[in-house]
Amino acid sequence: MKKYEILEHTADIRARIFARKKEDLFVNSAICLFGLLTDKKITAEKIRHIELSAAKLDDLLIFWLNELISVFYSYKFLPVDYAVSIDDSPGAQKLVAKIAGGDFDPYDSKNVKSEVKAATYHNLKIEEDRNGFIAEIIFDV
Amino acid sequence: MAEISFERIDDFRFRIPKSYKPGMRVDGIIYATEKLLSGAKNDNAFEQVANVAFLPGIVKHSLAMPDIHWGYGFPIGGVAATDPDDDGVISPGGVGYDINCGVRLLRTNLTLDDVQGKISNIVNKLYQDVPSGIGSTGDVRVSVKEERRVLLDGAKWAVAQGFGVKEDLESCEEFGAIEGADPDSVSERAYIRGKEQTGTLGSGNHFLEVQVINDVFDAKIAEKFGLRLGQITVMIHSGSRGLGYQVCDDYVRQMIGCLSKYAINVPDRQLACAPVNSPEAKKYIGAMRAAANYAWANRQVLMHLTRLVFEKVFSKSWQSLGMDLIYDVAHNIAKFEKHIVDGKSKLLCVHRKGATRSFGPGHPELPEKYQETGQPVIIPGDMGRASYLLVGTKKSEEETFASTCHGAGRVSSRHEALRNIDIDVLMKELKVKGIEVRATGKKTIVEEAPSVYKNIDDVIEVVQESGISRKICRMRPLCVVKG
Repeated sequence: MKKYEILEHTADIRARIFARKKEDLFVNSAICLFGLLTDKKITAEKIRHIELSAAKLDDLLIFWLNELISVFYSYKFLPVDYAVSIDDSPGAQKLVAKIAGGDFDPYDSKNVKSEVKAATYHNLKIEEDRNGFIAEIIFDV
Repeated sequence: MAEISFERIDDFRFRIPKSYKPGMRVDGIIYATEKLLSGAKNDNAFEQVANVAFLPGIVKHSLAMPDIHWGYGFPIGGVAATDPDDDGVISPGGVGYDINCGVRLLRTNLTLDDVQGKISNIVNKLYQDVPSGIGSTGDVRVSVKEERRVLLDGAKWAVAQGFGVKEDLESCEEFGAIEGADPDSVSERAYIRGKEQTGTLGSGNHFLEVQVINDVFDAKIAEKFGLRLGQITVMIHSGSRGLGYQVCDDYVRQMIGCLSKYAINVPDRQLACAPVNSPEAKKYIGAMRAAANYAWANRQVLMHLTRLVFEKVFSKSWQSLGMDLIYDVAHNIAKFEKHIVDGKSKLLCVHRKGATRSFGPGHPELPEKYQETGQPVIIPGDMGRASYLLVGTKKSEEETFASTCHGAGRVSSRHEALRNIDIDVLMKELKVKGIEVRATGKKTIVEEAPSVYKNIDDVIEVVQESGISRKICRMRPLCVVKG
């Protein structure tokens, strides 16, 4: 099963994410995001913890991606591996994640493919069928 | 999604009636020709005009300029004004991630003859001395304490550091620093992201361009601006970099929660918003203004670095080269401005998302030197065709909350560009036209190829003929540094 594909969008980047499980949807979205940012492979040397909550799963997915963008640029941290768990009680979606990664210079144009400003909430779709989950996300670039 | 049926008002105005979608509070009005309208029908931009019409307190119309294209939340080229006295809201998505992305235009005393044979040298030095590219960092490093001053004082801070002169400030929207910025409303992460990037151009559609004036439409006003046919100008397009993106993200996230708190119904969560008088909105306004000031400081530093390059190339001071700033405009911002609604003057919150303020002659917020002419309006086109200098009009104050277009507007995606455009062919085409381009990566050049944009001449025709701004001159590019 492929993890993601890039679709057309006039000004920004639109991606479709595929996953069998809800947790993998978050992992594969992160893989898509960092696939847009860099091709560089690094070894995991550090662990970061992220905890987020939102009223809806859609919001939680965008909070997650923007948290990763923020960590990438603010703390110069490139994630390579993710352990995500989601507690989806109605009305309060909670994410707890352990991210393994390492130091990376997000300002070094030799290693960075694109600048991603943010993941947006516009036309965000998460659908579930018998094969799993499909999400569509627009990144502002 | 239902096909939108537009009502034609005249050759340059089209209406989306509020009956199109239940929940629209006002009509949508699009400034365009049939040609531009049909070119943009394949994306979601017009649906976004309808969505913006849902915003509580929206006044008159949800507007779109002729460079409209698909954004997120607001369309790019979208304008909406809300009335704070009527539960009007502010939406960070109506400003965008790149807060106070904008353009400035410098004049010079140089003519085409003066730069013949020197273009390669100029573009190479600009590329070398002005930090550009993906996530570029600058030599201007500031401490956190100093960064607070940047957020409060904008371009004034830069001038105080020696990056320019105080006369430059008169030639900036808000005189280079908007009042009411609140550095305490800016998150630590935004500070960290901003610290690295002061004085950098950035990537994507940001650029620095040397141009020649190849058409003058109003010689009298051009003369007042110190401009004439064959003269060299410089245009700089940049914004608030990572600091602005982080501010926007912080507050969209917060305002998603405001939708249920204030019982606001919008069809797109990217339109998350809060009543202008709420505590959440007040904090956002303070942070947005801080980010706007950061962008003005940034463009001031970029201009200073550009002047230094010209000094090196021509072995003359920038003053003797006549490198004065014509004007600096913001095209992603929300402003509080007085406009006439139903015959009464009202203080409104005007969102311009990819739109330029366009004050007409005599507007009290303009400096003395532009009282007679109206505000200079700077509209960049693509790197292969042209850019324009216009002036604002009374008509735009009456019709569009003093707003006009901000650029050419994209017609095809970056993805499509990378698939269909051959970099070598493109570079050859540009070379034939006498345009030299430098960029950190070939990918940016392809993604920003002229063919991905509407023809700027078509866009300008609409704002000229509808009367929301007036053409002064057209500039064609000679060399471009792309981010």
